[in-house]
Amino acid sequence: MHETNRDWLPGFDKKFAELTHQMVKDLEKCLQCGKCTGQCPAAKLSSYNPREIIRDLRMGNVEKVISSHELWLCFFCSGCYAVCPRDINFPFAISMLRYAALAQGYGWEEVKKIKDPYAQDYYNTGLSVNINERNIGVKREIAKNSGTDGRIETVRKKMGLPPKRQVSERAMSEIKFIADATGMTDLFKEIDKKQAKEKKWNYGSAADMVKVKKGPNQKFIDVEEEDKEKIC
Amino acid sequence: MFLFQPCVGSNKYPGLITASIEFFRKLGIELVTSDDQTCCGGFLTFTNVAQPTSTMPAVARNIAVAEEMGLDILTLCNGCHTFLTEFSHFMNDRPPVKNVVNVILSMIGREYKGNQDIYHSLEIIYKLKERIRANVTRPLNGMKFATHYGCHYLNGFKKTALDDPHMPTIMEELIEAMGGEIAEYGENRTCCGTGLTQIIINKEELSLPHTKMKLDNLNAAEPDAVVVVCPYCLAQIDRMQQKLNYRRSGKYRVPVIHLVQLIGLALGVDIVKLGFDAHAISFKDFLKKFDSIHAKAEVHNG
Repeated sequence: MHETNRDWLPGFDKKFAELTHQMVKDLEKCLQCGKCTGQCPAAKLSSYNPREIIRDLRMGNVEKVISSHELWLCFFCSGCYAVCPRDINFPFAISMLRYAALAQGYGWEEVKKIKDPYAQDYYNTGLSVNINERNIGVKREIAKNSGTDGRIETVRKKMGLPPKRQVSERAMSEIKFIADATGMTDLFKEIDKKQAKEKKWNYGSAADMVKVKKGPNQKFIDVEEEDKEKIC
Repeated sequence: MFLFQPCVGSNKYPGLITASIEFFRKLGIELVTSDDQTCCGGFLTFTNVAQPTSTMPAVARNIAVAEEMGLDILTLCNGCHTFLTEFSHFMNDRPPVKNVVNVILSMIGREYKGNQDIYHSLEIIYKLKERIRANVTRPLNGMKFATHYGCHYLNGFKKTALDDPHMPTIMEELIEAMGGEIAEYGENRTCCGTGLTQIIINKEELSLPHTKMKLDNLNAAEPDAVVVVCPYCLAQIDRMQQKLNYRRSGKYRVPVIHLVQLIGLALGVDIVKLGFDAHAISFKDFLKKFDSIHAKAEVHNG
């Protein structure tokens, strides 16, 4: 799967010339010291390895990286950027590589999970977090602790606030205009209907992948399977 | 100052907004909010659901709302702070980008100038440390607090942070200024487990095990509460404890408190306004201990 930078994807490097150029220049500074991987929360729990990904990018194996399962495991904690002796903004590179992966057809299912409901809530209400609590368990706890029905609207009223945070009509029409004019709305529609390509590559062993898919603690997950009906 | 209201702070933990308005007023600073402000919008880009070309004007619009009032921005959320500062840096450094953004904003009758400062609440609060120390009416003596800064405060501001970005001590100094003790634990500077999107896309594999590991380490230090500076970290640490308890993966009941709520408590803001009612982990034991320490102190003094 060896290839050159020019093979990234049709138009990506041209469209984002300034960004990708900076990214390639940045990654060439890498010393392969591994400080990034040493502090990485995702590397601790899975086969995600920032140092290995940078090495692959420098060797020109870009297709391998963007078709990999690991590209979608980054926590965006920026810890790697903070410790990097060469000042490489690796989370930024990951973000750009994810756009590259999307352009090649990978990772649309991950993006869909974020679009519904968070990005859709942003478009509909102006806020990306919904006031309705989706987890019945949390709602029950809040009801118990506060002596109310557990809805945030009730708690807000008790505190002397309006039941919902006000977002003005002007603000709503403005963000919808920006979303429509800049293609955000079109991308949302594409996310809705796009079928993702299956990822081709994983850095871990086959056994690791099973672990990543099932989670490190089998027992921990089994309880969840039982309770799935009762709790969302 | 212009209070930039966070989404999680409005729709999950409304106490953050009321607590900060109340205690800043006690310190002589008036916080102003606006209904024209929406979600910062920057997160849509870093989660890859919208191109930077879409979110850049959305972020600039929010900053423009504060600029029209002629106010500096105060953020309560690490996420809002990161996105507002990063995007405004990007636009200020690149005049062509700023011009394009302003072409779009001109269609809705706004303009991004980039002439107001954006502060994280922790930075402003730290600068007011002596004023806070002088105004404490309910000191935190006898209470033990664990701190959690959150990744986007710790790591994102390598070049602009007030303190060492990877090992800051400003929150500890503030808690000690109010009389509290610090519970030290090894996983202090690690992520809460939200991982921006990992809570949504890889919840079982990465997010929950990570939070569990952090909580186990934290519980060993036996704090009375965990102090955070980001509503997203607050939501994660608070709500995942409930989830782990429900799955019988351990017993977790450490209350999680935002720094502004803690300062509100120490400066004597009305308890109802601090919004502990919206938390999944009860503050009953915490407040009981806090009140009994104060009752004892009063007997001693009287």
